[in-house]
Amino acid sequence: MAVSRTVVISCAGMGNRLGLGTTKALVEIDGKPLIVRHLENLINEKDIRVVVGYQAEKVINVVTKYRKDVVFVFNHNYRETGTGASVALAARYANEYILSLDGDLLIHPEDMKKILECDFEFVSGGVPETDDPWMLQTYEEAGQKYVSAFSKNLGDYEWNGITQMKSSKMMNGTGHVFQLIEPYLPVSFMELRTREIDTVNDYERAVAWVRNGFK
Amino acid sequence: MSRYIFLFDLDSTVTGQEILPTISKELGIYEKMNDLTESTMRGEIPFKQSFLQRVELLKEIPVSKVREMIGEIKLNEQLAEFIRENRERCYIVTGNLDIWIEKLVEKIGMEHNTFCSKALVKNDYIQDVFSVVDKNAVISQMVLPFVAVGDGNNDAEMIEAAEIGIGYGGVRNIAPSVLACASHVIYEEGKLVEFLEKLL
Repeated sequence: MAVSRTVVISCAGMGNRLGLGTTKALVEIDGKPLIVRHLENLINEKDIRVVVGYQAEKVINVVTKYRKDVVFVFNHNYRETGTGASVALAARYANEYILSLDGDLLIHPEDMKKILECDFEFVSGGVPETDDPWMLQTYEEAGQKYVSAFSKNLGDYEWNGITQMKSSKMMNGTGHVFQLIEPYLPVSFMELRTREIDTVNDYERAVAWVRNGFK
Repeated sequence: MSRYIFLFDLDSTVTGQEILPTISKELGIYEKMNDLTESTMRGEIPFKQSFLQRVELLKEIPVSKVREMIGEIKLNEQLAEFIRENRERCYIVTGNLDIWIEKLVEKIGMEHNTFCSKALVKNDYIQDVFSVVDKNAVISQMVLPFVAVGDGNNDAEMIEAAEIGIGYGGVRNIAPSVLACASHVIYEEGKLVEFLEKLL
């Protein structure tokens, strides 16, 4: 089933911890900016929104060189708000579902296919990897795992920021993306292979991952 | 259905060419016209002064000739069609002169829905420009929430005041002042129209 979906890529943040002086979506992994890697995987998606803030013009220039049929959504308050605010802004006047991705995330190309085939709501996580993770508490019912809570300490998987939810549920909030989802839990869980680029160590791990064919 | 009113800049938003630079090419005064247009778009000269100077450059040309030439300016046809189909909720807000753009706005069904500058004409020549549109004054009259679409520095205030303020960069670069306050920016006409349809 083709789901009526808007893909939201959040690229408004500053990425200070990485110390490269560029917004994280523009960080090049093996010669290609993260945002372009997302766009390549989303080639058949018709409705893409990129949320911009810090270095907006730079992000816009890189994206429009790759494809022009994108709606850019401004989060002018990116300094004071979290990614949840960016997603909420982009969810207004969107299609029935929004698929929300962080611009600073690297997703295994095969897992991206799995995401795009999904026609229901889900929250995603993977093997805990970063230094300061938010965790997902899950339970299993009839062979399907569900996310029951987000937690700083407890859980089997690390939340990676990828979620597909009805857009009508995601329109209000200024904090974290998971805070938009919390009122609607439980939601189906999807395990994905990703790398988040928060620190220089993350960056080096991500480069190695790509060069090694995502192994 | 939303209650939005839709306000559109005309030049390089609804038109696919920049009006005054395009016609001045044919009239051999392109360079001067383009310099003025560019510095206005960037917000380096106040719109009013710049517009009056640009009118001076075209004052020796019969009004009917300028009107004919402007009538032939290429439209962004998908956007023009959106405006025609929703004409009761759409308005053009342009600094350009009523007597010059008459034919062009008729083509998009906006002859009764246009806020523009106005001039007195005598024997087919401009006698005086007697009002230059203040886009800020136009939006201050709005009672209903509105969507605004534009690209130039003189669109920034209406884009900032709009519920949904859209910078459109399909024809030329969007002015920095618009990027600083727009809620959305879009660079492809089809995508712009698709988004506007969601706002109806």
